Amino acid sequence: MGQKKVFLALLLMTFLACRLGEARIKLVALPDRDKAVVRLDNPAATLVEEERVLLLQKGINKVDFAWKGVQIDSDSIRIQILSHPKEVTLLSVSYPPNEDALVWEINSPQPWEEKIRISYILYNIDRLVTYKFMADKKETKVDMQSFLILRNFSGEDFENAGFHLDYGEPFAGSVQHEGTKQLLFLKKNSIPIEKVFTFDAARLPWDPSKVEGNVGIPVTYVIKNEKKSELGEFALWGGKTRIFQDDGSGTTIFLGEDNASYTPAGKKMELIIGDSRDIVVTQHKMKDNRINLRRDTNNRVILYDTEEIIQVKIENFRDEPAVLTLIQHIPGQWDMSETTHKYEKEDAGKIKFLVSIPAQGKETVVFNYNRRNVR
Amino acid sequence: MKNKTINLVAFLFLAGSSLLWAKIDLVTLPERDSVQMTIYNSADITLVRDSRTLTLSRGDNNLQFSWANTLIDPTSLELFTKTMADKINIMELSFPPRVKDLGLWRIKSDVSGRAPVEINYFTSGISWRAYYIATLSTDEKTMELEGYVRVTNNSGEDYENAQVRVIVGKINLIDQIAALARRQYPYGSPLPMPPAEQQPRARRESAMLEMKMAFGAMDSVSAAKPKEIIKEGLSEYFLYTIEGTETIPSGWSKRLLSLRQADIPVVNFYKYEEERYGQTANRFISFTNDTKHKLGNEPLPDGLIKAFRKVDKDDYLSYIGADNAKYIPIGEKVELDMGKVQDVEVEVKMMDFKTKNYLFNNPGGNISGWDEERTYEIKVSNYRSLPAKVEVMRNFPHQYWELAKQGEFGEYKKVDMDTVQFTLELEPNSVKKFTYTLTQFEGDRRHSM
Repeated sequence: MGQKKVFLALLLMTFLACRLGEARIKLVALPDRDKAVVRLDNPAATLVEEERVLLLQKGINKVDFAWKGVQIDSDSIRIQILSHPKEVTLLSVSYPPNEDALVWEINSPQPWEEKIRISYILYNIDRLVTYKFMADKKETKVDMQSFLILRNFSGEDFENAGFHLDYGEPFAGSVQHEGTKQLLFLKKNSIPIEKVFTFDAARLPWDPSKVEGNVGIPVTYVIKNEKKSELGEFALWGGKTRIFQDDGSGTTIFLGEDNASYTPAGKKMELIIGDSRDIVVTQHKMKDNRINLRRDTNNRVILYDTEEIIQVKIENFRDEPAVLTLIQHIPGQWDMSETTHKYEKEDAGKIKFLVSIPAQGKETVVFNYNRRNVR
Repeated sequence: MKNKTINLVAFLFLAGSSLLWAKIDLVTLPERDSVQMTIYNSADITLVRDSRTLTLSRGDNNLQFSWANTLIDPTSLELFTKTMADKINIMELSFPPRVKDLGLWRIKSDVSGRAPVEINYFTSGISWRAYYIATLSTDEKTMELEGYVRVTNNSGEDYENAQVRVIVGKINLIDQIAALARRQYPYGSPLPMPPAEQQPRARRESAMLEMKMAFGAMDSVSAAKPKEIIKEGLSEYFLYTIEGTETIPSGWSKRLLSLRQADIPVVNFYKYEEERYGQTANRFISFTNDTKHKLGNEPLPDGLIKAFRKVDKDDYLSYIGADNAKYIPIGEKVELDMGKVQDVEVEVKMMDFKTKNYLFNNPGGNISGWDEERTYEIKVSNYRSLPAKVEVMRNFPHQYWELAKQGEFGEYKKVDMDTVQFTLELEPNSVKKFTYTLTQFEGDRRHSM
C-alpha cells in the first residue's frame, strides 16, 4: 500500500509539473474531475462540489485526497457516494501528519466504477458584484446591468466549472488561479428613479459664502427593489455602482459612483451621484434666548427653556423646480412654536422638511422652537 | 479557440519589442476609428470612448486589450457593439493570471465580418481647469470677461483627433482612478495584499516622437478662427464640447477660449470685517451671472480670475488682483475678493466704555448681572477718484445686545443674531463718519430685557 502511494504521488507530480507547475488537489485514483460546481451564494465562503469517478476494487480502498497549495477548510470536506450509495461505505477518514491531505477508507462489495461527489469550502475565491446604471437624459429611469466579478486566488484552476449564484443566471466557464473574470449576469431596463437633493444641517456648512471652495448639495438616485421597477423578486447584492447618463447625442457622460448596499425586496437602494452646485442653502440662527429661568436658593439658574429661531434660505439656480430634503437637528426635549413649512419628525432629535423650490426661484424656511428644561 | 488565443499571445510577444512605450493595443484591430474624451475636474478621471472596427468570425472570438504604461482603470473596461447587438454577444471579460494590464474579451458572434464596436474606459492623468481674465473699464463700471479652459494630458496615451468634452461639476467617487490603475489585480484579491508598487509614469521619450508628428499634422489642419465650445446642462453638471477634434499627446496641454463677453456691468465695493480680513478693507468686484449682465448662458466653472483695469485711452492696463472664484450658477451673484487695499480705509475706534445696571444674588451675594455699553466711532475714507461703496460688518460676542446709532450711513441690517452690517456710499475723495453704541447684557440682565 505504501509503495502504491509513493508511486501514485510520483505519477501525480509528473503530471502536474508539466501542466500547472505546482501542486493541486489530487485524488489518487482519478486525477481528473468530471464536473465542478462553484457556489457563490454566500459572500463569506465559497462552496465547491466536484464529481469524480473512482475505480474501486473489491474490499477496502484507500483514497488519498491532497490539496497542497490550495486553501481548503479541511473540516468542511465531505464525500458523497453517488453510484451505489447503499453498498459502498465510507469507513474512516484519516489525516496524515504535516500534510494538506486526507485518506478515505472506502469499502466496496464489488469492483465498481463509482461516482462520488466531494464538497468543501475553498478560501480565497470569491465574488464581487458591480452595477452599471444608464440614466435617460431626463433622469426618470435607469437601465441596470449587474456584473459578477469572480476572483480566484485559491491556488486551484477551474476549467469548465459551473458557477452558481443565488439569483441571475448560472454560468459555465474557466478561471485560473490568480485570474479574475467579469460576467454580466443580470439586466433590467427602465427602472424608475427618484432624484433627491438633501441638505443636512449637521453635515454641511451653514453659510457657504464663508467656506473656501464650493459647497454642493448631495444628489441621490433612489431605486425601489419592487415589482413596479421590474425587480422585487430577490434581494440585490451590494456593490460598487457606476452611474452614467445618455447625453442625448448618442454618447454618455459619467454621473458618479457609489457603493450600493444590500437591498432586500421591497427596500430602496440609495446612491449618491454627486453634488448639485445649483442649489444653494444658507442657514442662520436668528435667535437663541434663555427663558423661564428657574433658580436655586443661591439664585443661580439651574433650569431654563430656550427660544430659538432658525432661518434657511434655499436658492434654486436650476432651470427646473426641485424638492429639497432639509434635515434639521434639535437636541433634547423641545416643541415647535411656529414654522413656515410642514415638517416630519424622523426621530426625537431630527426633523425633515420637504421644500419645493420653483425653477430659478427662492424659498425661505423659518422655524421657531423652544427647548425645554435645559440644565 | 485555444489556438487562436495562443496566436494572439504570440502576436503580443512579437509586438512587445516595439511597444515598450505607452500604447493601447487591440490585437485584432490596432487602429482607432474615433475617440471621445470626457474630462472631469472635480476628480482625476476621464471617460474615454474608443471606436474601432473588429473583424469577427462566426463562433467564439477572443479580443485582447492591453494598456501597459497607461493610467487606465481596468474595472471600467467595457466593450459593446454598435450594430447587430442581437447577433454579437459579449460573453465575458477575463483578466488572465500573471499578466499585467491585459484583458481578454470573449465574443460570441452569429455572423462573420466587420463589426463596429466601442470600448469605454476611465483613465486618470488627463485634467482640465478653467481660469479667467477680467478687464475693467477705466470708470470701473463695466468689465470684459474672458474664460479659458486648459486641458492637460499626462495619461501616457496620446489622443489623436479626439472629440474633447469637459464636465463642470462634482461627481461622487469612491475610489481614485489612479489607484485602481496601479492595482496588481484589477479587482484586488480576497487575500491581504502588500501595497501596490508605484508604477512608473509613461515613458516620455518615445511618446515625444509621436507627439511632434501629431502636432505638425494638427497645425496644418487648424482653422483660421478659434474653436467654439458648445455648452449644455446634463443632470447636475455642465458639459462643454469643443468643436471638432483635438490632438493632445501625452505630456502636453492645450488652452481654449470658452467665453468672451464685453461690457458686463459690475459693482465695485469694499468690505471691512475684522474677524475675516483684519483691520484693512478688502476690495470686491461683483456681478451676477444673468442676462442683465450679458451673461447667464452657462454656469461659470470655478477657477482663478485675474482682474485688470484699463488705465487710459490707449488701453494700458493695471493689475488689480486675483481671486479663486467658486462655481457660479446661472443667476447667482458673485463677489470676487481682490484682496487688501489702501485707498479705502476704515478706522474703528472705541470712544467710550461703561458698565451699569448691576444685579446681585441674595443680599450680600455675588454680582449676577450687568450691562456693558461701548461707543464706537467708524470713519470711512475713500482716497480714490471714483465713488466707493463700503460694507462694514460688526460681529458681537453673543446675541444679547441693543444698538443705538448716529451719523451718516445709509443702511444697517441684522445679518444674524450676533452680526450687523452697515453700508455706506462714498463720493470720490470723501470721508464719512458715524458712531454706534452697543449695549451688551451680561448675566441675569440677559433675561430681564
